[in-house]
Amino acid sequence: MIPQLVTVRYRPEPDLRHTWHVPVLPVALLLAPILVLALLSGLIACVVFRINPVAALYGLARVVWALRGTTFDLVDGRTAFGISFR
Amino acid sequence: MNEQRRQILQMLAEGKITADEAERLIDALERQQPEPPPEAYDSRPKSRPKYLRVVVHSEDNGAGKGPSRINIRVPIQLLRAGVKLASLVPPQALQKANAEMAKSGLPIDLTQLKPEQLEELVDQLNEVTIDVDDPGSKVQIFAE
Repeated sequence: MIPQLVTVRYRPEPDLRHTWHVPVLPVALLLAPILVLALLSGLIACVVFRINPVAALYGLARVVWALRGTTFDLVDGRTAFGISFR
Repeated sequence: MNEQRRQILQMLAEGKITADEAERLIDALERQQPEPPPEAYDSRPKSRPKYLRVVVHSEDNGAGKGPSRINIRVPIQLLRAGVKLASLVPPQALQKANAEMAKSGLPIDLTQLKPEQLEELVDQLNEVTIDVDDPGSKVQIFAE
C-alpha cells in the first residue's frame, strides 16, 4: 500500500518547531496534471536512454509501495530534521 | 523420563531384571526412539525482520553545536525495490559513474554488480548487526 501520510519535521532553533503533515492521496490528486506531465517526461526519457518504460514504471511503483514505514531523523546540535512515511 | 524407561527402572529396582538387562532394554528403547535432529528443537519460525535501522549518536564535536543523532529506518522491501530499479540503469551511465568514482579514489566497477548478487545481499541483511563504539560516537546498524 502506498504511504497515506508524510510527516516532515523541521526545527531550525530549539524553540522553533515546524511540522507538516502531507496527506499523500489528496495532494497527488491535486497535482495530477503535473504528475501526468512528469510521467510523460519520464517515458520519453526512458525511450531516449533505451530503458524499458514498463519495467521502469513497475520499479518506481514498487519503490513508492515500499516507502511506508520509512523514517529519517537527523538532529545536529540545535537543528533537527525528520521525515516519516506512514 | 518416559513411561517405558520408568518401567524398566522399576523392574530393576524390584530385582526382576539385572543391571545388564536393564541397560540393554534402555539401549533398545533409545534405538526405537531416535533423538530428533537439532533443528527440530527450535522449530518456531523465525520472524523475518521488516526494517533496517541505522542509528548514529555523536557527542559534541567541540564546535559547540551539541550532540548529533541520526536515526534511519528503511523497510527491507524498499531496498529490494531499489535494487530492482537500479538494475534498469543503462550500462553507459554505470560506466560514467565508474569513471567519476575512480576519480574520487573509489575504484569500484558497478557494471560487475549483478541484481541477483544485490538481492542475495539484501536477503542476508536479516542477520546483520554492526556496532561501532567510539569514545565520541556510537554507530549501530541492525535489522528489526
